[in-house]
Amino acid sequence: MTARIVVGEGSCGLAAGAAAVYDALKEKLAGVDAKLGITGCVGACYLEPIVDVYDGAGALHRCVRVKPEDAGTIAGAVKSGDYASLADIAIQPEDEGFLSKQTRIALRHCGVIDPESIDEYLADDGYQALEKVLKTMTPEQVIEEIKISGLAGRGGAGFPTWFKWNAARQSKGEEKYLICNADEGDPGAFMDRAVIESDPHNLIEGMMIGAYAIGCSEAVVYVRAEYPLAIVRLTEAIKQARERGYLGKNILGTDFSCDIRIKAGAGAFVCGEETALIESLEGNRGMPRLKPPFPAEAGYWHKPSNINNVETWANVSWIINHGGAAFAAMGTENSKGTKVFAVTGKVKRGGLVEIPMGMTLRDVIFGIAGGIRDGRKFKAVQLGGPSGGCIPESLLDTVIDYKSLQATGAIMGSGGMVVMDDSTCMVGIAKFFLDFTTKESCGKCVHCRIGTKRLGEILNRIVSGEGKEGDVELLEELCNTVKAGALCGLGQSAPNPVLTTIRYFRDEYDAHIRDKKCPAKACPALLTYAIDKDKCKGCSACAKKCPVGAISGEVKKPYSIDPAKCIRCGACHNTCRFGAVTVE
Amino acid sequence: MNDIKLTINGKTCSGKAGQTILEIARANGIDIPTLCHDDSVAHYGACGICVVEAEGSPKLLRSCSTLAADGMVINTEGERAVQARKIALELLMSDHDGDCKGPCRLACPAGTNCQAYVKQVALGNTKEAVRIVKERLPLPASIGYVCPHPCEKECRRGLVEEPISIAMIKRFMSVDQLHSADRWKPERAPATGKTVGVIGGGPAGLTAAYYLALKGHDVTLTDAMPQMGGMLRYGIPQYRLPKDVVDAEIAEIAEAGVKMENNVKIGKDISFADYRAKFDAVIVAIGAWSSTPLHCPGEEQQGVYGGIDFLRSVALHDPLPIGRNVAIVGGGNTAMDACRTAVRLGAENVYVIYRRTQSEMPANAEEIEEATEEGVQFKFLTNPAEIIGENGHVTAVKLQVMELGEPDASGRRSPVPVEGKFVTLAVDSVIAAIGQKVDPKGFDLALNKRGIIAADEATFLTDQEGVFAVGDATNKGAGIAIAAIGEASKAADVADSWLKGHIVPYHEPFVSKRTVTAADLADKEKKARVKVTNRPAEERKHDFEPVNDGFSAAEAMEEAKRCLECGCHDYGECSLIKHANRYEIHPERFAGEKRHKDLEQKLAVIERDQGKCILCGLCVRTCDEVAGQGLLGLVGRGFGTVIKPEFRDSERIKVCATCKKCAEACPTGALKIIG
Repeated sequence: MTARIVVGEGSCGLAAGAAAVYDALKEKLAGVDAKLGITGCVGACYLEPIVDVYDGAGALHRCVRVKPEDAGTIAGAVKSGDYASLADIAIQPEDEGFLSKQTRIALRHCGVIDPESIDEYLADDGYQALEKVLKTMTPEQVIEEIKISGLAGRGGAGFPTWFKWNAARQSKGEEKYLICNADEGDPGAFMDRAVIESDPHNLIEGMMIGAYAIGCSEAVVYVRAEYPLAIVRLTEAIKQARERGYLGKNILGTDFSCDIRIKAGAGAFVCGEETALIESLEGNRGMPRLKPPFPAEAGYWHKPSNINNVETWANVSWIINHGGAAFAAMGTENSKGTKVFAVTGKVKRGGLVEIPMGMTLRDVIFGIAGGIRDGRKFKAVQLGGPSGGCIPESLLDTVIDYKSLQATGAIMGSGGMVVMDDSTCMVGIAKFFLDFTTKESCGKCVHCRIGTKRLGEILNRIVSGEGKEGDVELLEELCNTVKAGALCGLGQSAPNPVLTTIRYFRDEYDAHIRDKKCPAKACPALLTYAIDKDKCKGCSACAKKCPVGAISGEVKKPYSIDPAKCIRCGACHNTCRFGAVTVE
Repeated sequence: MNDIKLTINGKTCSGKAGQTILEIARANGIDIPTLCHDDSVAHYGACGICVVEAEGSPKLLRSCSTLAADGMVINTEGERAVQARKIALELLMSDHDGDCKGPCRLACPAGTNCQAYVKQVALGNTKEAVRIVKERLPLPASIGYVCPHPCEKECRRGLVEEPISIAMIKRFMSVDQLHSADRWKPERAPATGKTVGVIGGGPAGLTAAYYLALKGHDVTLTDAMPQMGGMLRYGIPQYRLPKDVVDAEIAEIAEAGVKMENNVKIGKDISFADYRAKFDAVIVAIGAWSSTPLHCPGEEQQGVYGGIDFLRSVALHDPLPIGRNVAIVGGGNTAMDACRTAVRLGAENVYVIYRRTQSEMPANAEEIEEATEEGVQFKFLTNPAEIIGENGHVTAVKLQVMELGEPDASGRRSPVPVEGKFVTLAVDSVIAAIGQKVDPKGFDLALNKRGIIAADEATFLTDQEGVFAVGDATNKGAGIAIAAIGEASKAADVADSWLKGHIVPYHEPFVSKRTVTAADLADKEKKARVKVTNRPAEERKHDFEPVNDGFSAAEAMEEAKRCLECGCHDYGECSLIKHANRYEIHPERFAGEKRHKDLEQKLAVIERDQGKCILCGLCVRTCDEVAGQGLLGLVGRGFGTVIKPEFRDSERIKVCATCKKCAEACPTGALKIIG
């Protein structure tokens, strides 16, 4: 059998230089009996660019952090059959664990098949579920199967998928719409992008099964314009699916007809909220509508509509192929199946992690992602993006399911998992996420538009050393009001990072307000830089680096910093080779 | 449609299925406040003001859009709903950049609507102007003459060049109306059968009597002096306030139904207890008629007078003998009145002895200037140390020379004696115009530490049931007339509520205020103040005729047109301020950045003040759903979101049919029709 060399060309791989690696391989493999191809993102983003080398026997030799100059080594190994020569770039056992400890359903084809080839999808059982549904199942049976699976919306709210499908199916009206929410806006979440870029046919198949169950003849994928590669690959996949009869009129020769089109969103976070998304689809400003009526009754063009996000759709074909019970066999009492997390931040191994519900946060952060890098200490993990909350070390054994996470004050959300170490200021983090939601508020409702702004201002004065007694209580009062009064999920969840950091890191707020100190030494306004006279060698390096001339002294004698001039940029601290600059 | 029944605030309300909670509540006479809802457009849910509590629901419901269900139990004023509403209003107000009332109106202690009456003068409508001023001030002509006009100090036109001459405008319009056959006359409410005795016929007593009479009470105004007017008549010289103006205004008050009795002194002609027994309520407005003594040796000699005693003697046409050389002690307006009166009585050398310098003088600048023109000699940084006399009569005053030390609590630099440095001034009389005291003798009322009648600041009640006290005789003591009038008009409202059985204390309403700097007004065209020419000092110092003739009609109109109209045109109709006061909000706790206030976009005939826009979207939706135009939209994101013509397409803007429906729908004063 001919060897196959597959380059990971998801956005992460391309960003790490996969295109140059591909070109180099193409050159070096000229005349070699090997097939060069691409695949999507396998999820181990920290190892990109990844090149999978399948030898003649079909065995995989995975090469990581590949540079264009490694192309010769790979070509040489293929030619000689001496795959041991790849040792320098071969994946290490602990990194293999990052992937092997996962359970992949939504991501099962990602980084495995060529996303631009429908044949590769078909070769891995692709479109079999759709065929099974159209030819052997009634819409009600499909919905029942989804109900058995316990699949819940993976976009954030975790609403039972079958219920939404059923409500839309039961809604009166001939015209019904199916919508895929691919407006993945949480900072630090990128599983939906990975699915579209790496396995677009899986999304199409899932959507067609849903369309059949609900009775839709038109489907739209609302994808953010910042995902250009996803749009290219999905466009190509839709074209291929149409050509092969999996989309369009009389799919697979049945009476069922449905087509998909793509709508590129203009980059507003709030358009991830389903009613704002619908407004945007209709050509209006993306602002949420009041619910009820829910989209299942009156959605797109005020017709019954069903919206699910990409990851939800990506589970559907697997459930049909393996049965809802197989899906429900994974997970916990209230949360079934698997969930994809985008693990980022201060972990050793960051990327996409799909695990069965019921694992603990510790399993994911330490077991799979390898714990904290650079020898620092774990401090908190932010779950659910700007709508979520910060969970402290004491809650790391919390089981991952919708209910348990909610009890901590965080949410499952779309699966963003930002890991922070002890150099992160928790007040600063609350402010960071709040700044995001404040800017992304659509401006419609008072609580979100002005409430988040005021929360941000209070946090800002706290990190600037101008916090007052009573500020924490004022924050809590305002947070609770915004949660209760905001019109949509964006505003209702925007206070979560503030509330959870107050709940678990109250001492940090107090330190900022009472002692005017930042325990993490991260808030510049609260830091004092000084020179340790015993350690200073009088080299003058810090004085030369200081942008405001705050450091003075005589060469070979200890220097000193004028606190009145110091702008706390940290340049001296970073410059000093003797560790003489102290920060308090 | 099916009938449904629900309970709202304990009341059983019926409605139809498909109606919202708000619709059913309103149909049943229950008001739920809202800012973004109007029946003419689809519900929107932006403001969050209409939230209500529903039994069994952990969440607050937006009543504008939540469909009512049979058996629902709703509480529109529960603690949670009220708190949410209140915070929503506080948040809105924390971002609101507008002036409910102009700075002039806020600065007026009586809260007279300066902007509105100035506007009417600009339009040539003095009758309406007087009607407006008389909502808070029944003596506008007199006050127009004498008021030190704190309104003008705050006038924002002062940031452009000079403030509006509000007092002079008020004097013009009120005098104009005094002589008009078609002058405005107030309507009196039907008789209540309640009697009120008002003691003291000065500005405060006249005011309280007037408003209580208009409210239908049987009011008797009692005064110890031969004629009504109090200090306006007996404390202010004729050249500053002609007595015929005072007479005419008092006649109007009598015409409004106030019975007047003079030469009746409480404690002498009738005891306070007997007087009290004659009425359902009594208002004590006796003023502060005793001069503060100098507290220096020799004070007891002949030729040493109190300032107001001196002025009163002149008003009664029996002036105290002052001789050729007169020293007046003090730096306030009474000192100015005394020195200028002394000049008019023919004194040759009139000195003003003041322990600080001219810049610390509390008197009005124009009074000081005019006194100087009339030959008054100022002895700054001096203070009487001893009154020297012969045979019990003043011959000289020994003055301690002073210098300015550290600023005191009032911010003025305190004078300190220069040790051992004295000067002596030969004088025939010394007039002490350094302050006035209350003489509460004969009134069995509780006093404060300073010997002044103690009255509650919100109810004006004294320690006696049904006895209210206002003006110079109370709390802080003597002040300016308009302050006493302000208290009296508020006390009239409170006393009225008390007479009707349920006392409503005075509560300062919340208002939104802008902070404006000269830079904000840099684009305003400069337009000098219309000046009034005084008669030459050499001429006027020999008579008691007014110093000037005031504005002509044309001058008053020209001056009135300079007004910047700072106060909101929609204050009376604004839903935001109405709700803000209903829920007693404190937006200062959320004080922070405000949206750009300088974004005013003219769309056909509509001007938008972005600072007052609350983004309720009613204009956007009205333009779209009612007018069928869809010209407006929300632009930007987050806190900076504003409403503007969508797409800034000038061709589309031209489509604006000038239907003005957007401005009518606006719940605040953000939209103004300018065409």
